[in-house]
Amino acid sequence: MTTFDRRNILQLLGIGVAGAALPGSAVLAQAGRDMVTIAWPSDVPSWDPNQRFSPDAQPLFKLVFDQPVGQDPDLTLIPSLMTEWSLAEDGLSLSFTLRDDVTFHNGAPMTAEDVRYTFYERIKAGHKLDIANSWRHVTDIEVISPTSGVFRFGSPAPTAPQWLAFMGSYVVPKAYMEEVGVDGFRDAPIGTGPYKLVDYQMNSRLVFERNENYWGGVPEIKTITVDVIKDTSARVAAVQSGQADLTINIPVRETLRLDKTEGLTGEINAITRVILLQMRHDGEFAEQNLRLAAHHAIDKAAISKAFYGGAAVPLSVVSPPGTPGYVEGYEFAYDPEKSKELLAAAGFSADNPAKFTMATTNGHFPSDYDIARALLQMWKKVGIEVELEVIEYAKYFELNRGHKLPPATLYSWDNATGDPEIFTGYLLNPKMPFSSWKAEKPGDEVLRLFGEPDYAKRIAGYQALNREATEMGAAIPLLQSVQTLVRKSDLDYRIYRNGWVLGNSMKWG
Amino acid sequence: MSGPVVKLLMRRLLTVIPTLIMVSLLLFCVLRLLPVDAAAMSLPPNATNDEIAAMRIEMGLDLPLIQQYGIWFGDMIQGDFGTSIHFRTAVSTLVLDTLPATIELAVMAMGFATVFGVLGGLWLFYARGGAVEVGLDLGSVALLSIPEFLWALFFMLLFGVSLDLLPFIGRLGSGVARPETITGFLLIDSLLSGNMATFMDALRHMILPSVALGLSAAPPIMRILRSSLMDVYQEDYIHQARQRGISEGRILIRHALKNAFLPTLSLMGVQFGFLFGGTLLVEIIFSYPGMGNLMVDAIRNADLPIIQTVGLTYCVMVLLISIVVDVLYLVLNPKLREA
Repeated sequence: MTTFDRRNILQLLGIGVAGAALPGSAVLAQAGRDMVTIAWPSDVPSWDPNQRFSPDAQPLFKLVFDQPVGQDPDLTLIPSLMTEWSLAEDGLSLSFTLRDDVTFHNGAPMTAEDVRYTFYERIKAGHKLDIANSWRHVTDIEVISPTSGVFRFGSPAPTAPQWLAFMGSYVVPKAYMEEVGVDGFRDAPIGTGPYKLVDYQMNSRLVFERNENYWGGVPEIKTITVDVIKDTSARVAAVQSGQADLTINIPVRETLRLDKTEGLTGEINAITRVILLQMRHDGEFAEQNLRLAAHHAIDKAAISKAFYGGAAVPLSVVSPPGTPGYVEGYEFAYDPEKSKELLAAAGFSADNPAKFTMATTNGHFPSDYDIARALLQMWKKVGIEVELEVIEYAKYFELNRGHKLPPATLYSWDNATGDPEIFTGYLLNPKMPFSSWKAEKPGDEVLRLFGEPDYAKRIAGYQALNREATEMGAAIPLLQSVQTLVRKSDLDYRIYRNGWVLGNSMKWG
Repeated sequence: MSGPVVKLLMRRLLTVIPTLIMVSLLLFCVLRLLPVDAAAMSLPPNATNDEIAAMRIEMGLDLPLIQQYGIWFGDMIQGDFGTSIHFRTAVSTLVLDTLPATIELAVMAMGFATVFGVLGGLWLFYARGGAVEVGLDLGSVALLSIPEFLWALFFMLLFGVSLDLLPFIGRLGSGVARPETITGFLLIDSLLSGNMATFMDALRHMILPSVALGLSAAPPIMRILRSSLMDVYQEDYIHQARQRGISEGRILIRHALKNAFLPTLSLMGVQFGFLFGGTLLVEIIFSYPGMGNLMVDAIRNADLPIIQTVGLTYCVMVLLISIVVDVLYLVLNPKLREA
């Protein structure tokens, strides 16, 4: 038991001697190399992993839950709970085989009944789940045996395998959830994942203990503590002071500074997130020459250098390098003279500038507002004057759904699967709420590709579509976004190209 | 409890009801004016327009505003504050889970502001007329002009990183066991469960956020106490006390301070209300899991049920503080009791 002695009182007054150790540091020292503390920028929306789509929460969910299909670091789909899956030629069904050695944290075996419950029964029962929208076309899931079954779809679902590895698709235990109810499950969640959640304080701290019976091999680190630190400066301070072993999403300049600090390593990793200008097909930007002039005037390399230390890769299509929709060797040139020519063809010049409004968020992704201001300067040089409208992230969806976004909007599009349907497909599908481009061209081609079950044909179609979208100015891809990460130099982890930082891939060197 | 105090309490409690109705109506209407579609926010980004329209009807957003308010108010007086759009949990649960942390932080901050403000006020009073007073005056203006989030960042870097003296993340250190929830107040619960190690750790975690929060509340207390003391020292009874040979220290403590403290007390009530507002940013910076932290999440996600409930909770807290201050005022001032 601690008593109020002189030393404690001095510490309480904030004038303790320099050797006064912090509680966290003391515990870390005691715990040795068996634990890792991570400073993470956000909490999970709730501990029902099917409930809300939240990209930042995926690495936290993946500690406790497993997905039917996994992804390796280069995002190739790999077996996880499912050892095999096969999409029918018509895309209307997907048969699967499950591992037979997986148990939930309470010891109950994971079976095809749990898969059916997660992706079908919960949705039919009216649970308020975001996955209800991703899996709305599931008409049934037949359970053939405890380890096999078939998804049935009402319309072709060519990206069903990708969605089995995407947001919200985590298998939850049917029997346990029915026993404790949804609220009870959120209070005491169990999954099949590599860690068990042992302590949770919303918006503050999550403590995970290693699952000693994990089917995928017992993780190296016994205890993972995640401190939810939303403030960027506080995350920098946490890792600099040693209170955290790893953090992400801090400013590039801080990452570079901390990289020079002894014992710390800073990384700037390109991830499957695309920074782009979403365009409208109508209004001030109905003229193609004007859209292309705007694109040719942008020096993407300079933006990358100025705001991302040069680490963000300039893009010419709305798919980053290494993903299936990327068009190898294709480049849309930075050419201010060409921009001026196109502007002249559209009837504009420096004396008679084209004028339009552009929307941007401020603080939704790193340097968004700064990039928007840089674009304004680049455009001004060729004869385009832009009025900047700063919108809240929540308002962005509101405006886009109502087709009320201005002619151009600076946005960051995240896609952990890397599949082109979730890049170009979603952004240019006129029937989807994400698209600000509602024209038939290339909308009809997008709609066709949404129903194309043949993977090779689908990918080839998207590559052609990506190029066409750029050349007609339906979207202006800017940069492949980056994830900054600072860690203790002797803490190893696996780098995933979609920015996942997974606790079960960590180990002390 | 004496008659005047009971009367005052009754009177104030009666005024609380219409005030809360007004505030709730105002909050409800203002939030509905925001260009945010609560139905769309409650669905995933890939929801179709038809699904959003159906959700709008399910949430009653298609009804006239006053009818929506009536439904919300009716549910609210039965203890149902709705379900969070983002967390999909009962709002009352979320607020009750986070409120104790914020109250604890605000009380600690107010305690610090009071001690610092009163001591500073006394010093200012004693140093009046000299160069020290000018220096202290300038110092208090400087304290007042620096917002709490800047203090928070400064303290975090100085005491947390550079000097490595105090923790600055959350309410407890890694590995420190949380006590069983009895009241929700960490300090009280750790004491009730006899866990002094947790109590000490929680207290240390509260130092930086509460000092950052309280620092800008202290200068007004300091200055009003100084000016009140200067007024009181013009009163006849102070001169008479001096003529009776009573020591300056005794005059201050027994005669002057009690009277000078009354306006200070009123100000402290106001400052306490402001402190609650200040918890938003300070809780974010120190990863403190209180109601301010919840509010920031709610604002980011346009979670209207949380925003209006937290707003109303702030209002209730301010009203309660105001009642407590009024009662204390009455207890400390016999003239008011007689009136």
